[in-house]
Amino acid sequence: MADLALTAPPPREDLLRQLRPRLAQVAPGLRIIAEGLLGADASIDFVGVEPDGRVVLVLVGGADQDLELVARALAQRAWVERRLRDWLQLAPELGLRPEAGVRLLLLSPDFRPEAESAARALGPDAPTLAVYRCVRNGAGVDALLEPLRAPAPHAAATRARPAGLQPFRTGLTDADLGLTPEEHLEFE
Amino acid sequence: MAPSPICAERPAALPILAVPIGERDVVRAAFAWNLVVEVARLGGSATLLAPEDDEPSPLWPEAGPGPVGSEVILARAEGLADLNRCALDVAVSRAADSADGGVVVVRVPPTWLGPGRDGRALLRWVLLFASPERRDLLEAYGLAKQLLLGGNGGVVGITIHGARRVAEARSAFERLADVSIRHLGRELLSYGLLVDDLHVYRAIVSRRPIGIEHPQSRAARALRDLARLVLEDARSFALG
Repeated sequence: MADLALTAPPPREDLLRQLRPRLAQVAPGLRIIAEGLLGADASIDFVGVEPDGRVVLVLVGGADQDLELVARALAQRAWVERRLRDWLQLAPELGLRPEAGVRLLLLSPDFRPEAESAARALGPDAPTLAVYRCVRNGAGVDALLEPLRAPAPHAAATRARPAGLQPFRTGLTDADLGLTPEEHLEFE
Repeated sequence: MAPSPICAERPAALPILAVPIGERDVVRAAFAWNLVVEVARLGGSATLLAPEDDEPSPLWPEAGPGPVGSEVILARAEGLADLNRCALDVAVSRAADSADGGVVVVRVPPTWLGPGRDGRALLRWVLLFASPERRDLLEAYGLAKQLLLGGNGGVVGITIHGARRVAEARSAFERLADVSIRHLGRELLSYGLLVDDLHVYRAIVSRRPIGIEHPQSRAARALRDLARLVLEDARSFALG
């Protein structure tokens, strides 16, 4: 059996190719639908769909890019969220469910405490963080993924609720705002 | 009639702009902080006051002096009445030092906006951030309804963010304003639009103002326009 030893990541293209088949370990059932998609001023490494139709954006960062990765992920999510309904119309066969939101999966060789704090501060919309490590396996290099923390526990519960009952961005609900059915209809 | 000397028109207190922002709403929190910095860059006195959270988000700016004379103050406030008192203290003390006017921007937890609360004087001038998304517009309308029918006779302004085109932002505001007129009989004030580009999110994480880091970006220019509108209204409210 060949010896395994940690090694520096290979060139980015090779790294992405090695990480791709590992993504299901941190996002079970993930189906990749796009690679290298040009999003908000930069490319999104992988775009996938979970079995329930939620879109997953995967961003891969290098050493010491963890904070930048969190920022880029927020920008890309905002960019994608605004286009999900367009994508659904263009490709209904993909099974996207825009109302399920967008999950972020960030891969980095390391996450410093401040990057973890920044991610955690996003509450239920916090990205899933996973560390990748590259190992030399005989003559080749392979990449391994290790989730840093599980997705927010109530994210699934939020997804399961009908759209009309989801809390607003402020955390308030329809009931808190005392909206009448007629007022609701105005924004349908 | 001879014009009055400018010094005689200095207000006793700076106008207070209340901005409802949820505690985990980092994007709008970043807008509010960057707005304050832009007001300061335009020469106005600019303070951001927010209630101190038990678990402060690491993405919120820290209390203390900020860039170009801006300032962040975190106040111990248990409710709207406490926050109103803190805001008034700041507004009075900063007015004494500001020759060119300015504004105190106050983050108000949206759960404190409900009717029948003490301290609603804080809500005389309110800015709501809304994206053109249906749920966001509905939420902004609901908040405006609470504010406008709350009996304080205030002004509610809307800034649209996240629009892909100016026309989309304009359409979103017009929709909100139209529904407000028909259902509430009240007008909403337009405070333009903001652009959600990468610089906004970088600013959130790095906690560096967009207008200083990337002054030529679309996000910075849009913020500057918003700051100009806010400062002009602050000056007219203060003198009016």
